[in-house]
Amino acid sequence: MISFVKQRGIGLSFLILVSALLVWLHRRYSGAMPRLSYLTGWALFGLILLLSLYNARKKLPFVPLLSSELWLQSHIYAGLLTAALFAVHISYKLPTGWFEGILAWLYVMVMLSGFFGLVVSRAIPKRLTTRGGEVLFERIPSIRRQLQERAEALALTSLSQVKSSTVADFYARELKDFFEGSRNVGLHLLEVRSPLNRLLNKITDLNRYLNEQERATLDQIAGLVRQKDGLDYHYALQLLLKVWLFMHIPLTYSLLLFTLAHIVLVFAFSGGAR
Amino acid sequence: MPAPLPTYDRPQRWDAAFDPQVTDAEVSRLLSVPPFSGMRPENFPTRLSLRDILKHDTRIQRYRRGEIVVRAGDHGTSAFLVMSGQVRAVLGPELPPSLLGRREPTRKGIFRVIAQLWANPKEPESFKTSQLKQDARIGARQNQGEEVKIFLQDVPRILDEHKTALLEPGEFFGETAALSRMPRTTSLFAESEEAELLEIRWQGLRDLMKYDEALRKHIDEIYRERALSSALHEIPMFRHLSDEALQQVMARTEFGTYGDYDWSGDYKRLVQSAAGGQRRMEPVIAAEGDYPNGVILIKAGFARVSQKFGNGDRTLNYLGAGQVYGFQEIVHNWRRPNAVVPLQYTLRVIGYTHVIVIPTAVMETVVLPRVPKKDLPRLLSPAEDQETTRPIDAGAKIGADMLEFLTENRFFNGTATMVINLDRCTRCDDCVRACAAAHDDNPRFLRHGPISDRLMVANACMHCVDPVCMIGCPTGAIHRDAFGGQVVINPATCIGCKACFNNCPYDAIRMVEIRDQTGAFLVDKEMKPILKATKCDLCVEQLGGPACQRACPHGALVRINLNDLDAFANWLKR
Repeated sequence: MISFVKQRGIGLSFLILVSALLVWLHRRYSGAMPRLSYLTGWALFGLILLLSLYNARKKLPFVPLLSSELWLQSHIYAGLLTAALFAVHISYKLPTGWFEGILAWLYVMVMLSGFFGLVVSRAIPKRLTTRGGEVLFERIPSIRRQLQERAEALALTSLSQVKSSTVADFYARELKDFFEGSRNVGLHLLEVRSPLNRLLNKITDLNRYLNEQERATLDQIAGLVRQKDGLDYHYALQLLLKVWLFMHIPLTYSLLLFTLAHIVLVFAFSGGAR
Repeated sequence: MPAPLPTYDRPQRWDAAFDPQVTDAEVSRLLSVPPFSGMRPENFPTRLSLRDILKHDTRIQRYRRGEIVVRAGDHGTSAFLVMSGQVRAVLGPELPPSLLGRREPTRKGIFRVIAQLWANPKEPESFKTSQLKQDARIGARQNQGEEVKIFLQDVPRILDEHKTALLEPGEFFGETAALSRMPRTTSLFAESEEAELLEIRWQGLRDLMKYDEALRKHIDEIYRERALSSALHEIPMFRHLSDEALQQVMARTEFGTYGDYDWSGDYKRLVQSAAGGQRRMEPVIAAEGDYPNGVILIKAGFARVSQKFGNGDRTLNYLGAGQVYGFQEIVHNWRRPNAVVPLQYTLRVIGYTHVIVIPTAVMETVVLPRVPKKDLPRLLSPAEDQETTRPIDAGAKIGADMLEFLTENRFFNGTATMVINLDRCTRCDDCVRACAAAHDDNPRFLRHGPISDRLMVANACMHCVDPVCMIGCPTGAIHRDAFGGQVVINPATCIGCKACFNNCPYDAIRMVEIRDQTGAFLVDKEMKPILKATKCDLCVEQLGGPACQRACPHGALVRINLNDLDAFANWLKR
């Protein structure tokens, strides 16, 4: 079994070598072959087409088409290789026309979104594991509802048991909104804990106005607040792991469409391939 | 004041009788027929009287002509005594899988694999009528209050096409499988119009053997002849022995079963009570510091190797079938009689363990003098006490906490356990979708399960070494695939009795309501939905192996044999 470090070493070496070779070949033959950009263009288009096939592979898990891991590794390094191919294709200059400008920017965005996906795919799982409280994304709404019901029930219990509305009022004022949905998504992504700390501080502050029974109830509510915060954390990070693909894939399809139009236009206005 | 620790009521012998319907009159009748009429009740202790054993550990089963009693390959925990009528044992060729309620092993061709793209049903667990059709040569019947019994329609033809042996009243069968928890080797069916069999569960058989010399001798002989000889031939240290020497070893070898075969139920209760303290329930086979009485060979089940650590014990390894304990100490003592060492580790039962013990005297006089010096283990030395250099210490390979986690949860039972590295898993559920795509849109596992550090063991069938789910299936629907040995379920013969579902200690089996091709739920005459057991089949019909593993883009999921800790350590270090 090949280690991840070795796998990365092989991939990066391949990438650097082939990219350097591409740049060298382009320099060597750009003067001698006036239509070299056709060749690099077709190569780039073919590579992008191959890269987009990874999505099709995912839809056919039962067909023995090599492992998805191997496909992803090829996707990553071939994807990075397109940067070198793209650079030589545009001769290191961003196009100035609006159509080709959009095409170039689409490519850049596909590339950046893919790179972003790679970074979050490697970084976020470790954060989720470290935080603990593993939960299936689809089950988060129902667990959140359960926590909300338990917190509400505790607040109401306090009302009926001690004939005081302090805890119930606090719940309605400070916690009701917190339990109603996923909160602090952006802050969780940035690993900022201040909203949780603020809520827990408020709970601690309230304790001085409560009797023993109310304090016990508030303690239980504080436990639920921590659980809900953990759930929000998982929601935020798991959401990010899913949504980046909603940028990467539509952008890829747009890129393919624009590339097809680009090919048609190139051939229409150049008098055909030679 | 700290909260009191939750306690767990340890199950007692005869908390649950094998068959509560057995009456005193029936027991009296049993006592009047051989071999029980020849047994001396005074040889049995008061707390384990012969009458009580027969009342609580046996049941009378009646089979009609053609009804299958046991199937080759099944796991069972009871032996049978023919009381009346006749039973046939199929010696060869083995009955075809479909006659035993099993599925013929098949692999989809490339075109059928691709056709799944459009041919998969829209609703999960939808079956064609043909998929639920049993082999016409077998039938099922169920008498009032009895289990479903499968019968062979054409007994004369079976007798004609297969070599068989007749078992008459007074004869035992199934005792080796019952005592050693090895798969049954022969299929048997009733030949007479009615055959009355006494089924004796293993605990009862063990006690009967213990207190009745004749029965012990009889079963001992059968065991030595059928199981011991092949077991000893598999051990490398005996390959240097001549046939005569091997006979000497065999004659003096002891065997025994420790623990409880029904560990699955106990384990489930332990987990539910969250009381922990499993080690309290694990009988000690050999204790650290004791004199080594013999080399212990694990024949079936598992045992924990531990060593005193602080005020407790630290697990160093677990041993499975074919592994030995105490060999190094005996060799050391034989080579250094002036520097005798005691056992270095404690061997405990996990669940149940069937062992073969070759006494030290036999080892010293018959075996060791014939083993070349290069094949002997090295002498014990103070360096052995260094944790990282002990070859037995699997904790050094995978981490002590991980080893405890695998042992406490008994995951070592799995030959294809689904382990997920949560540090690499992006929770994308590609594995779940791949499983669903390969199994009629119904994923056969949950990406959820116990977690230790960064590893999750998902709720997926582990295809156990000791598949407790296979015990008690009345139709043989759950079985090992004839090709790869995966534990699979034949939907055509599964009757939805939940025996496997209740037996599985890892909650890896689900009961599902099945549908027809139109997507409508199938119901019986009482309009109750028809249930079938489903579980991971390791994509036995697909090309390329388990879809879940192949679908993981990040190399986070693996199906791995947790008996091979070197492979597991390599995967962990990846």
